[in-house]
Amino acid sequence: MTGFAELLLSGVMSGLIIGLAGLAVTLVFGIARFSNAATGDTMTLGAYGALLGTTLTGSLIFGGLVGLLAGALAAVLSYVLVFRQLANRSPISSLLASIGLAFFVRAGLGLAFGHNQSVFQLDIVRPIRFLDLRIQPNDLKFAAIALVTLVIVFIILHMTPIGRRMRAVADNPLLARVSGIAPRPVMFTLWAMAGAVSAIAGIILGMKTVVSPEMGWDMLLPAFAAAVLGGIGHPVGAIVGGLVIGVAQELATPFVGFTYKIAVSFIVLLLVLLVRPRGMFGRVEGVR
Amino acid sequence: MTLEIKEMSKAYGGLTVVDRVSITMEDADIIGVIGPNGAGKSTLFSLVTGFLDGNGGDVVLDGKPLGNASAVERAQAGMVRTFQVPREFAHMTVRENLMAAAPGQGGENLITTFFRPASVARQEKEIAGKVEETIRFLKLGVVADTPAGRLSGGQKKLLELGRALMTGAKLIMLDEPFAGVNPVLIEELSQKIRELNARGIGFLIIEHDLGALSKLVSKLYVMDRGKLIASGEPAAVLSDAAVREAYIGGGAN
Repeated sequence: MTGFAELLLSGVMSGLIIGLAGLAVTLVFGIARFSNAATGDTMTLGAYGALLGTTLTGSLIFGGLVGLLAGALAAVLSYVLVFRQLANRSPISSLLASIGLAFFVRAGLGLAFGHNQSVFQLDIVRPIRFLDLRIQPNDLKFAAIALVTLVIVFIILHMTPIGRRMRAVADNPLLARVSGIAPRPVMFTLWAMAGAVSAIAGIILGMKTVVSPEMGWDMLLPAFAAAVLGGIGHPVGAIVGGLVIGVAQELATPFVGFTYKIAVSFIVLLLVLLVRPRGMFGRVEGVR
Repeated sequence: MTLEIKEMSKAYGGLTVVDRVSITMEDADIIGVIGPNGAGKSTLFSLVTGFLDGNGGDVVLDGKPLGNASAVERAQAGMVRTFQVPREFAHMTVRENLMAAAPGQGGENLITTFFRPASVARQEKEIAGKVEETIRFLKLGVVADTPAGRLSGGQKKLLELGRALMTGAKLIMLDEPFAGVNPVLIEELSQKIRELNARGIGFLIIEHDLGALSKLVSKLYVMDRGKLIASGEPAAVLSDAAVREAYIGGGAN
């Protein structure tokens, strides 16, 4: 029973990371209208940024902020240099460009930092015993960071003028234009947010495991699955979707083994697309 | 306000759907554009609002030529249109729909939102005040917190008018505002349009309900197959033989 509970707990942790990545995917999809395959590598970039920042400043918190800014900046740059140029073409162009960008970022990080794994030097803390469960204090911090991130995204979207305009563009881009809503500030904010959220996911993943140039790419499929499961364009849905996939992956591990747990997210993705394409919270797209 | 639509044209391949159409509005006025289906009326609206790129022509608003300004720039310059089938931000409430359309929001980006929260909050309050006023004016109070997608057809028409008002438009272009609206609401909408016009907002209206329209407008323009075929006072235009031929069809008398 304890074994089950511990798997559940570690599922929740990886679920939060997947959920954050899914949140970045779903934000971009909702407003820029394409699946950004560079999300995973923005995570990696954030993790390396944090690693570098931590080494330079000696503080994990400052390091984390460096990583977050690196992710946000990279995402805004990717918009300015690539996705804005493709905005008037079919979404397939942007998707393909994002795959190219993903390779480019990954190769660049490999070149700069090498392909060996790096680790964050975290203090080793004795786990908290709760009932019969061992809980890592760091996991609690990571979970708190993930939740705070979600809350901030929610506040920006629902309680600020720029968030309102982002939702308007997501809802009906054409009507937004004739209502005089300028796309540029909306897009800059969107990309900065998506980049920062991806970076946070990458930093948490890097701190929990190891940092390597491939870490983010491996998260892409689960992130897409979380976004689809939650209902594309639905921020809370992405986090819940991530949790479902994270838990499903961990609980399946005793049966399918560690190597194949990633297949679980693929199966979830397939099932959702077949049974309920609009996801748990989603609405039917295109019917107005 | 003044408006000059100068020789607007649009052709698809060899087919000219809008052929050198010119409309002038001196001072804020209410002008109707009528014509049979396919006459090019909605296309004209799309050209004027920068939704479609034309093949020649220009729009001059308050003496300023708009040249090839984008749809967003034209909306910000004060020209806003509505649609035949009402459009709304379906998943946002009526109140949010109206707030989103308010121009010059200080919280246009995250940086001001976080670093100058006081000025953003002040502006939000101002916008919220205008929104409440608009909601009262259009009597949308009961549905203010309802997602706009759930409104009735008539309420959506009112919301479209409200959104146009919130942008601070000087010229509002209504595309069939009375279609599918019950007679009581038509009367009410007409009254709102008159009130807004008295406050200095110009209206350009496409409409098939000639009865309601001719009571509202001071001037009618008639389009047929992309061309303007007549213009003038409603009574005179409607008794014009060519107009009756084009609009009502050859069989009528």
